[in-house]
Amino acid sequence: MSIELRNISKHYGETRAVDEVSLVVPDEVQVLVLIGPSGGGKSTLLRLLGGLEVPTSGEVLYQGRSLGTEESNLRQFRRKNGFLFQQFNLFPHLSALENVMLPLTKVHDFSAAEAKDRAMSGLERFGLQAHAEKMPAQLSGGQQQRVGLARAMAHQPGLLLLDEPTSALDPEMKAEVLEVIDELCREGQRIILTTHEMGFAKKSGDQLVFLSRGKVIDVSEGTAFFESTDSPEIKGFLEKVMKW
Amino acid sequence: MAKSVFSTAVCLVLGTTYCFVLWIVLSHDYDWEAIQPYWKNLLSGWWMTILVSAAALLLSILVAALLTAGQMSAHRPPRLLSRVFVEFVRGTPLLVQILLGYYLVANSMGWDNRFWVGVVILSLFAGAYLSEIFRGGIESIPASQWNSARAIGLSDSQTYRHVVIPQAVRRVLPASAGQFANLIKDSSLLFVISVHEFTMQARETNANSYATFESYLPLAIGYLALTLPISLFSRRLEERYRYEH
Ligand SMILES: Nc1ncnc2c1ncn2[C@@H]1O[C@H](COP(=O)(O)OP(=O)(O)OP(=O)(O)O)[C@@H](O)[C@H]1O
Ligand SMILES: [Mg+2]
Repeated sequence: MSIELRNISKHYGETRAVDEVSLVVPDEVQVLVLIGPSGGGKSTLLRLLGGLEVPTSGEVLYQGRSLGTEESNLRQFRRKNGFLFQQFNLFPHLSALENVMLPLTKVHDFSAAEAKDRAMSGLERFGLQAHAEKMPAQLSGGQQQRVGLARAMAHQPGLLLLDEPTSALDPEMKAEVLEVIDELCREGQRIILTTHEMGFAKKSGDQLVFLSRGKVIDVSEGTAFFESTDSPEIKGFLEKVMKW
Repeated sequence: MAKSVFSTAVCLVLGTTYCFVLWIVLSHDYDWEAIQPYWKNLLSGWWMTILVSAAALLLSILVAALLTAGQMSAHRPPRLLSRVFVEFVRGTPLLVQILLGYYLVANSMGWDNRFWVGVVILSLFAGAYLSEIFRGGIESIPASQWNSARAIGLSDSQTYRHVVIPQAVRRVLPASAGQFANLIKDSSLLFVISVHEFTMQARETNANSYATFESYLPLAIGYLALTLPISLFSRRLEERYRYEH
């Protein structure tokens, strides 16, 4: 996907959420996965990669061009991408259909009729046609996340950024959402994902980055999945999460 | 056990009070003939109260919108100016504001239309309170909504327009309706600058007929007829809001 991070940091007061990270994600990588312990900086790095946050120092290059720090440039970049967070993605005063339509009409300049067609086919694609008119509060957690995905995908984003999209769901709904994400991976969608689902990370990631205390501890390519890592921290982490 | 003792006590105290008041009201020897010539005035006063309140309602929403925008502005001066205004209004009695507004400000401007002076003062007063309700509503929209709005590429003004304000409006509707009921009651103070509203007409009726009960009982009922429906409506909105979330 052609991303380069040059010595990038993000500080919140005293907290160094991301601390002087440099990383190259080559063009062949279609699915980038960020893993690591809680508080390690995964979400912060994802937000920096997606142009939702301005780095304290350093720069992010996407396909050779710096994202910069100007809000209007960052917004242009965000508009090309799609996001899905852990929860509370949807606007509670709008129906599922209206949620998907809002960015199409207000950001991407579709007419109301075009937007509706597009949104409906997006909802159908994720198995939600029967729920189009429902309000978010009337949907299950898994359905809400799928509506969120339909919204994030409706304008055919260059990059889809997912921040622990299933960690607020029960196992059954988790599976139903991972299924959909897996399908997107297989269709060739470029995805950056943070997750605690190691099985999924292993299966779908082309490149895996292990973050801890704001630092990249190791990067693993292809299917190796840190098998040959020297880091005792990663070994310990994997042992712990694989145990249960 | 303690609960049932408590509720029995409440019923007893309130029940006795109601009976006592009812007894006073019913046992009075009414002389409706005495206010016969003034019914027309009372009715026109009631109508005037509706007009003043409705005009002040519309204007107060405008005032509140301005004050809310001022208080939430990214710049210091508008924030400060709005804050000063709100604190002044909340810190002084409405009666004082009416007297100052009319005898000092309006008079020195040579403005003598009592109706509109009254409407303006009332709407400044109600607008200040309403703006606190509006601000609370906007601030109650969680950060996750801003986050989602940014993530789909909305600008700040689009976020206000399509995400924050529509949700805030639902949240502030019950309290705003309650504020409107207050506005109707507060308009009764405009008699001090001789706006011929309901209270003023009742006072004059009383002065001319010496029939105190017959003048003021319709006054209370007339206000209740306006505020009760609003209060019920506001409760229903509150309930609907509770089930939506
Ligand atoms: N907006 C913020 N303000 C202050 N501190 C923050 C903010 N966002 C993140 N942090 C801090 O930065 C550090 C990294 O947080 P981040 O959310 O990126 O971790 P994470 O790896 O995503 O953790 P988790 O797995 O729990 O989601 C944490 O110590 C967190 O408390
Ligand atoms: Mg996180």
